[in-house]
Amino acid sequence: MRFIQVLVIALLGLLSIRLYVLQVVRGDRYAEIAVNQRRRRLPIPAPRGMIFDREGRVIVDSRPTYNVILTREDVKGKDLTSLIEPLSQGLDVDKDILREYFEMVKTMPAFESIKVKENASPGDISWVESHNLEFPELRVEQQPQRRYPDNGVLAHVVGYVGEISPEQLQKQAYKEKGLKPGDIIGLSGIEQTYDDYLRGKDGYREVVVDSRGRIQDEIDTIPPIPGRDLVTTIDLDLQLAAEEQLHNSVTQRGVLIAADPNNGEILALASAPTFDPNLFSQRITTKEGRAEYVKLLNDPETPLINRAIQSRQPPGSTWKIPMAIAGLKQGAITLEHSNLVCGGGIQVGNKFTRCMKQHGVPDIKTAITQSCDGYFYRLGLKMGIDGIVQMVDEFDLNKRTGIDLPNEIMNYTPSREFKRKMQPRDPDWRDIDTVYASFGQVYDIITPISLLRTIAAVSVDGHMYIPHVLKEVRAFGTPGTPDYKAAVTFQPLDPSRPNPKIIPIPEAIDKTVVQGMWQVVNAGGTGARIKMDGFDIAGKTGTAQVVGLGKDTGKNKDHAWFVSYAPAFKPEIAMVALIENSGFGGTNAAPAVRGVYDAYYRKTRHEEPPGAVKQQIAKDDTDKKKETPEKKKTAAVTAAGQQTARNNR
Amino acid sequence: MVAIIHKRSWRDFDWILALLAIGIVLFGTVQIRNAQPTETYWVKQLIGLSLGLVAMLAIAFTDYRRLLNLAPIFYVFGLVLLVLVLFPGIGLKINGQRAWIRVGGLGQFQPSEFVKVTTAMMLARYFGKNRIEVLTIKEMIVGGLILALPIGLILLEPDVGSVLTYMPILAVVLFLSAIRLRLVIASAILAIVLIPAAYMMGVKTGAVKAYQQERINVILDPENADRRGIGYHTWQSILTVGEGGLIGSKASVEYSQSGLKFLPEPHTDFIYAVTAENTGFAGCVMVLLAYVILLSRLITGARRASDRMGMLFIMSFVGGLTFQIFINIGMALGISPVIGVPLPLMSAGLASLVATFIAIGFAISVQLRRFVN
Repeated sequence: MRFIQVLVIALLGLLSIRLYVLQVVRGDRYAEIAVNQRRRRLPIPAPRGMIFDREGRVIVDSRPTYNVILTREDVKGKDLTSLIEPLSQGLDVDKDILREYFEMVKTMPAFESIKVKENASPGDISWVESHNLEFPELRVEQQPQRRYPDNGVLAHVVGYVGEISPEQLQKQAYKEKGLKPGDIIGLSGIEQTYDDYLRGKDGYREVVVDSRGRIQDEIDTIPPIPGRDLVTTIDLDLQLAAEEQLHNSVTQRGVLIAADPNNGEILALASAPTFDPNLFSQRITTKEGRAEYVKLLNDPETPLINRAIQSRQPPGSTWKIPMAIAGLKQGAITLEHSNLVCGGGIQVGNKFTRCMKQHGVPDIKTAITQSCDGYFYRLGLKMGIDGIVQMVDEFDLNKRTGIDLPNEIMNYTPSREFKRKMQPRDPDWRDIDTVYASFGQVYDIITPISLLRTIAAVSVDGHMYIPHVLKEVRAFGTPGTPDYKAAVTFQPLDPSRPNPKIIPIPEAIDKTVVQGMWQVVNAGGTGARIKMDGFDIAGKTGTAQVVGLGKDTGKNKDHAWFVSYAPAFKPEIAMVALIENSGFGGTNAAPAVRGVYDAYYRKTRHEEPPGAVKQQIAKDDTDKKKETPEKKKTAAVTAAGQQTARNNR
Repeated sequence: MVAIIHKRSWRDFDWILALLAIGIVLFGTVQIRNAQPTETYWVKQLIGLSLGLVAMLAIAFTDYRRLLNLAPIFYVFGLVLLVLVLFPGIGLKINGQRAWIRVGGLGQFQPSEFVKVTTAMMLARYFGKNRIEVLTIKEMIVGGLILALPIGLILLEPDVGSVLTYMPILAVVLFLSAIRLRLVIASAILAIVLIPAAYMMGVKTGAVKAYQQERINVILDPENADRRGIGYHTWQSILTVGEGGLIGSKASVEYSQSGLKFLPEPHTDFIYAVTAENTGFAGCVMVLLAYVILLSRLITGARRASDRMGMLFIMSFVGGLTFQIFINIGMALGISPVIGVPLPLMSAGLASLVATFIAIGFAISVQLRRFVN
């Protein structure tokens, strides 16, 4: 009996040791697990900030939509395939899509919930509510959905939002922001750059659930902090005009940017073809939506690319403007003695690189007005490659412009290193290379935005502003309260960059070049057809060589450039247009720009712009006929010189 | 004479034992209410307590020898109950086991709990003769049969958990009936060596199925077992106990593990986990201490018993009680497998409660008559 008594005490003693381990040693840990399994945080999505144009017109807003979601907590270990049939019937979802979701889920962390249906209809919602007993794991969640303008207007500027990707979640920068799977973030454009302002902070309801996941009580509600509204520098009137111009262009492909040269504000930025950003915010999870996306990705016309900042083209003769400034500044020519021989081209070694016409011995202004290649070959040779490199550096052409849109690409600019890389078999820089580099082909391949920035700088005495689309992030809250956040205006994303960067250009030099550009439009130059009386447009045409010459009649025709600003002596607006594969700049790009100037004129001057557009087009047609034979002749000659000299008139 | 006995009865009455048992029940009732605040289990438990007290007093003041002499009748009556419960019209099926008989107004009771007492009585009576020599094979076989009849019937319910609690009753009786010590030690050693060895062999040869292994793994390593499937009960119970900490959880009753139904069967099988959550380590140790004192009182009573029969009955009760306490609490603490064994005096359940008080009544009766021979 004593033995039994000892045994009793020993057994119960053993239990008390176990108790000590569970409750005292590991108690805190178990308590935490226990509390976590009955608490759940149901996110309250923060409404994303709206995006306005500079006059306060809505560009992007959100509307509430409902998603049916499956709480993962409650279905762990359950065979989800048994849910496919009833869910696909009850909610009218494709079975394959459900199967795919459920498959995906296996690799996701357990606390993640699955979206079973987005954009649930009132019928879907009531179905979920009435089947609460059968499927307690289903829940309806409200989610604001982004709404973008129709017809892809401004698509490349505003960008789009989407669910954060698993790859992004791995990145430290995103982790630090507390982002979690399923969060909606900006994936492109303004939505991406200013995501931190627009996104806001999700709130949540902290609820107590029972073992079946049914909500018992709400213990805490943290309201979401709404995202802040953005006012962009975009002027919708000009934007629509720009999009219309691209739409009406010959190939319907290209880019048109309008900016205020006095501060770098982008007034319009159109890139064509465009796409519908609503695809990403609304339809990307559907079968059709994915097919649409794949189609966009594979489209040879690259509609997803923002051509203003993500395409590089030879600037053609527009390159002559920085060349002229630099040539004068560096003393290769002087204002007093700026005349150089045209010679109808230049012979370097065994290669003859042509000019389009015989311009005699023009001075700098005439050379710009007439776009004399022969002049600039010689100017380039006088400056030398080092002079050209110095110019590139001064005009920031070897840097990104710093525009506040993501994924801007870098220019290719002439330099000895670039040649070594490009032609390893002939790595030395030769005079012929300098000739090429001096008129905007071969070694000069730049983005439209950087060209616009260069010309805009020339228009305002060398003040190079960083182009940007943010006017301000609107103030939030009531002043004086702790939640108040003051308005934020544009700051360079790279704070080390000066804004503006000031290029010292002697006034006389600047004036001379400006006059040259004024003459291009107003004194019988290459852009004469868009002349507007009483509104002095200064500009420069250009043609970017696409392939070797001789192949330029079909779909690989040259790109047409026109870069400009107005009024010439008191600049308000600068503009660049590139119409892809359309031919000469003066014929194809300049009228597009003119169309937007008309819109600007109407808006600011409150009257019809002088010179009807229809007349311009009529004139264009006759010009084309005149040009064609000459162009072909040129082509034949220069084809021998391989990729070379080609310029607009 | 009656007056003298009467007076002495009150004086010798084991108040500590009785009050301790009542105390544990009352404490348990509070926990039942915590476990199922919206149900009336705690009220039924109080009714069960009063019934149990009446039974305890009635038996305490009856001569246990007269009752033990009638043991065969009680035993047969018990067997009849076990047969009756198997009939669908009478027996109530809960969770696949037909182990309950409905009692109007009080819910249902479990005959197997009562039969434990009658079986212990029968065993005490059979082995209760004064003896010098060691047990014969025949005696052991008869003892085994006495146990085998009710066990067989209970297995038909089927209620394996209950069956297990019958084992220690016979074991204690045999142990105290001068079974050869060598046999005890040998079987103990054999069990210690053979069970794990057999298990390992079984795993290797595939005789032990994967799900059976899983059950064992739940006990060996509850944290890494399938927490949502087979290991769910154990894991939730461990969490519940752990959450209690040193002095009990801060969570309100509604949002406790049991209130939110994370902990299954909180008022019966896992009442100890509920206690742990509400009163922490402090409360849990108090409960254990109460049981130790209770059992010690019973053992003291057995030691003082005037005859073998009384001693054997109390000790077999002690054996059954200890085993049940250990298995039930062990289950709550994740060290014994989940089998439906109630915690004596604490789990909600009419039959278990009343049967325990009947046995306590017996023990008191044995004590009261320790000088009367």
